[in-house]
Amino acid sequence: MIDDIIFIGQIAIKSSVAVLFATIGEIVTERGGVLNLGVEGMMLVGALAGFAAGTVSQNPFVAVAAGTLVGGLFSLIHAFFTIALRSNQVLCGLALTILGTGLANFLGRPLIGTAGVRIRPVDIPYLSDVPIVGEIFFHQSPFAYGAYILVPLVWYILFKTRTGLVLRAVGEDAASSDAAGVNVPLTRTLCIFTGGLFAGLAGTYLSLSYTPGWKESMSGGQGWIAIAMVIFCTWNPLRAFWGAMLFGGLTALQFFFQATSMDSIPSYVLKMMPYLLTIAVLVVVTASSKYRKAASPADLGIPFIRER
Amino acid sequence: MSAPVIALKGITKYFGPVVANHDVDFSFHSGRVHALLGENGAGKSTLMSILAGRYAADFGSVVVKGEEVNFSSPASALEHGIGMVYQRFMLIESMTIAENISLAAFKNIRQSDTHQIIIETCRRYGLSVDPEKYVYELSMGERQRVEIIKLLLLDADVLIFDEPTAVLTPPEIDSFFEVIDKLRSDNKAIVFITHKLEEVLTLADDISIMRKGRLVLSTRVDKQQISKQQLARLMVGRDVVLRVDKEILPPGDAILSVTDFSGDSVHGGTSFRDITFDVRRGEIFSIIGVAGNGQSALVATLTGLSKARSGEVCYLGESYSTEAWKKNRKLGMAYVPEDRHHTGCVGSMSIADNFALTRLSAYSTGFGGLTLDRERMIADGERAVEDFSIKAESSADTAGSLSGGNLQKMILARELAKKPQLFIAEQPTQGLDISATEDIWQALLACRKEAGILLVTGDLKEVLSLSDRIAVMFNGRILEIIDAKDVEGVGRVGLLMAGVQC
Amino acid sequence: MIRIEKQRQTPKRATFYTIIIAACIAFSVGGLIFACLGVNPLTAYGAMFKGVFGSFNSFSEVLVKATPLTFTGLAVVVAGVMMLWNIGAEGQLVWGGIFAAGTALFLFPTAPAFVLIPLAIVASAVGGTLWALIPGALKARFQVNEILTTLLLNYVAIIYMEHLFYGPWRDPAGYGFPGTAQLPEAAHLVRFLGSRIHLGFPLALFCAVVLYFLLNKSIWGYQVRVIGQEQRAAHYAGFNVNGKILTVMGLSGALAGMAGMAEVCGIHYRLQTGLAVGYGYDGIIVAWLAMLNPLAVPFVAILLGALFVGGEQLQTVLGLPSTIALILEAALLFGLFSGQAMVQYKIVFGGSGAQDGKGDD
Repeated sequence: MIDDIIFIGQIAIKSSVAVLFATIGEIVTERGGVLNLGVEGMMLVGALAGFAAGTVSQNPFVAVAAGTLVGGLFSLIHAFFTIALRSNQVLCGLALTILGTGLANFLGRPLIGTAGVRIRPVDIPYLSDVPIVGEIFFHQSPFAYGAYILVPLVWYILFKTRTGLVLRAVGEDAASSDAAGVNVPLTRTLCIFTGGLFAGLAGTYLSLSYTPGWKESMSGGQGWIAIAMVIFCTWNPLRAFWGAMLFGGLTALQFFFQATSMDSIPSYVLKMMPYLLTIAVLVVVTASSKYRKAASPADLGIPFIRER
Repeated sequence: MSAPVIALKGITKYFGPVVANHDVDFSFHSGRVHALLGENGAGKSTLMSILAGRYAADFGSVVVKGEEVNFSSPASALEHGIGMVYQRFMLIESMTIAENISLAAFKNIRQSDTHQIIIETCRRYGLSVDPEKYVYELSMGERQRVEIIKLLLLDADVLIFDEPTAVLTPPEIDSFFEVIDKLRSDNKAIVFITHKLEEVLTLADDISIMRKGRLVLSTRVDKQQISKQQLARLMVGRDVVLRVDKEILPPGDAILSVTDFSGDSVHGGTSFRDITFDVRRGEIFSIIGVAGNGQSALVATLTGLSKARSGEVCYLGESYSTEAWKKNRKLGMAYVPEDRHHTGCVGSMSIADNFALTRLSAYSTGFGGLTLDRERMIADGERAVEDFSIKAESSADTAGSLSGGNLQKMILARELAKKPQLFIAEQPTQGLDISATEDIWQALLACRKEAGILLVTGDLKEVLSLSDRIAVMFNGRILEIIDAKDVEGVGRVGLLMAGVQC
Repeated sequence: MIRIEKQRQTPKRATFYTIIIAACIAFSVGGLIFACLGVNPLTAYGAMFKGVFGSFNSFSEVLVKATPLTFTGLAVVVAGVMMLWNIGAEGQLVWGGIFAAGTALFLFPTAPAFVLIPLAIVASAVGGTLWALIPGALKARFQVNEILTTLLLNYVAIIYMEHLFYGPWRDPAGYGFPGTAQLPEAAHLVRFLGSRIHLGFPLALFCAVVLYFLLNKSIWGYQVRVIGQEQRAAHYAGFNVNGKILTVMGLSGALAGMAGMAEVCGIHYRLQTGLAVGYGYDGIIVAWLAMLNPLAVPFVAILLGALFVGGEQLQTVLGLPSTIALILEAALLFGLFSGQAMVQYKIVFGGSGAQDGKGDD
């Protein structure tokens, strides 16, 4: 029984890391007032870049840096079109996902089936010996440890620093922020770029650690889950951690039931759960206006125009 | 007098084909209050927005303390000590006062120190705010105070106010004047944009008047020499403001009467309580009040866009409960809404298409009345363009391409085409030029012959020119209904609007 | 002096220029990628062109692909005209397929074709409608963002369909192949000219025409357009906005559902993995490239279909991955954005240009 819990817990974390990174990134982007539906595309491009850089350099650090950076650079396409040209954010994000998927699958073709660098799980001394909790949380890939640090860090920056204040202000009311002397286009560009960096990191985790190797469309919709997760956690990185864990837990349960041939809950119901739960949360968050007001950035998706 | 702190030279600004400012020279001094007067659309706000870095001038230069500058954004204007308090306050609703202020002012100060600094500044100017409060909890007067504190903490020594008293209650206006006095004695340069003559004469040291994008007067105030009449003439550009020949009509039957009507605010405005009045055929019944005293909520309920809380409506001889009134299709009722650009029309659609907006049933044809009779829409649109001398090439022009006055005439034409029994007009001439205003007034007077007209406005001039009876609304209530022939009563309207009952 | 200046009014023929700019950008981007890979862009485009227009047989495949794309494109257009985002055409397509397959396999397996095919069409429309009404109702009742609900429901629909053909609906005689049994002969849509072009294509064209008249001539369409352009004016005019959300989403779902029927009854003859391949998402691109004009949708769908077929040809002829089609698809959309931005400006030679009121295209 305890072994089962540890098994499920470990897999839950393993399967939630990518979604968690991507969610944190999208939270930063949306807090700045920009909706970027291109997460899936940015993840794939990042996954491919990370894997390719790892193959060439045989250095895991180079691989992670390359994957992350390429994700960020790719997101600048969204920044250019939505901020400089004021194109529709929804359409532009979709186009970014299509472009990222097409580009990654196109360029990655020769890499299918090759072995690159792998980033293997590392035990944290002492902590991993703590029964259950330690075994679940500290027998993980270094990416997971990165997430443990980045989640509270992003939360702190968003809500406790001046940088976070400026970022949230731009997302809440771009015109007022502008009048207060904030450079709205630059701030929003940086928010999109940060979102891209995180999506790239998420992709890198997939191709270097979660399922090492390059496979076509290997993110399998996790980018879309991340976008839904942002609402699920009401734009708060700390809640994103638990949201991603819940998602990972449901994935882990599927593995568990498959492995043990138990079917007390049909697997298709488990598979649907994250989506259905997110819709339920969406309804609750929207229907209670008070909660919504406190949570959703008011200028989300609205381009900023200052007539000159 | 010393050299001006700011001088604007030869400022010209276009918005598309419209000239908002034409070769304007404007300067002002520290330690003085400068009033910038003009009608709606005279170009005052544009000129000041250029100074505050929000717009870029097409031609001309800005000289600050003898140095020519070029502002690319509000931020760069603030660096030169120029700050503006806009009509729509630039505060982030979901953040606290402290957060809003530190967003603008405390780039290098630890957050923990901000509260102390805010409270100290407030004390110096006799203002009081609680830095921990959220902006959405604040009254308009409090929000204005936050804006002023923000500018003071940014070391602004030029403060520009765009119609600062438009949204304030009378006591708030008094305390605002006190703050302005303190700022003046602190050697700040203050510009305030207004079209209220009383304010100018109480507060200003200097006066500039703009008309149609040009500066027509810039002078020091000498209270003995300049009168309200003179100012008004300079603002409007002719001697007698407007004269309407109004024939006397015998009052007819009551078309609309409301009894003990109460309702909630729309979009966070003021609610209204215990409203009782009637509108008779052949008269223009006016409801006048400063914006934000419950008029918009009242109109929304009368037109059926929202539901009243209690009361009773009688329309064309039928009585309705509040519930029934909301549901009832108000046949024979025409309504010209205040927001003509986004409510009264669809800007991206043609004039002909807009003619069907409130009159769909009049154009239904074919397939059991499921399709629109486009030819008739176009014919009606063309006729309206002609009859109301709307400046458009044809009825295929989009409504959004029309100027404010022509757009309002189009909306009026559409609503009159209903052959209404009751005509509700909300701020029908706000922001329009004289000739469009005259056309619209004439149309309303002509309509009065067959219908009852409910005119809701904040424009005293308009009320005095048109009305048969005047109801003054303040803080959600009608204070008094005055007959337009009662000279003594009409004299009190201005005071009543400020909530002073006598 | 040469400078760029914002146009005061959108120039006439703006649409035309936008499309030209979009196409130029898309093909330049594609050419750049080919060149980077050491393939002469002309050779590549030549291969694509030949692959598409080389024979009737290959061109017929373009129309086969254009059929579901027209349906989903129209689905996104209806919603888009009211400024609703139906990202869920994929899921509605799946439900259309499930309903059509269920009707043919289990409800009326023995009905003759002239009964069964209309039934399957109606069933697919009903399936798509019901699925689209979930986000529609949530939007009308609670103002829940439809972009996310429609998107999330795609996954739910696909998971449920997989459950069906891996589980209860699996073909007992299929040797474990994931899919239902073949539909009865009577449910197969008639095919034309010895190709795989089937009844779904003329049906899609018919729907495009009907939708055009509905949106542009009917009172319902007028109201939908007003709501999309200026919601406050719609409230002022007393339109029932929530009711329109439901009818629009329902109609949108019906159109997407018919795409599922076309694929199931016209191509696959069973419910299987190949049903959800992204036509729902491509429909969004189709709709916006067609600038929300129903009559333009079939043409854009054919263009996109040609890209897909051309991409496949590129793979067989030059060994280049067929996903180049996706890149070109995205490049077309980015080209559209650029074109839309560019037609708002004009290049002015000399002078201030502020006085000349004419403005050129």
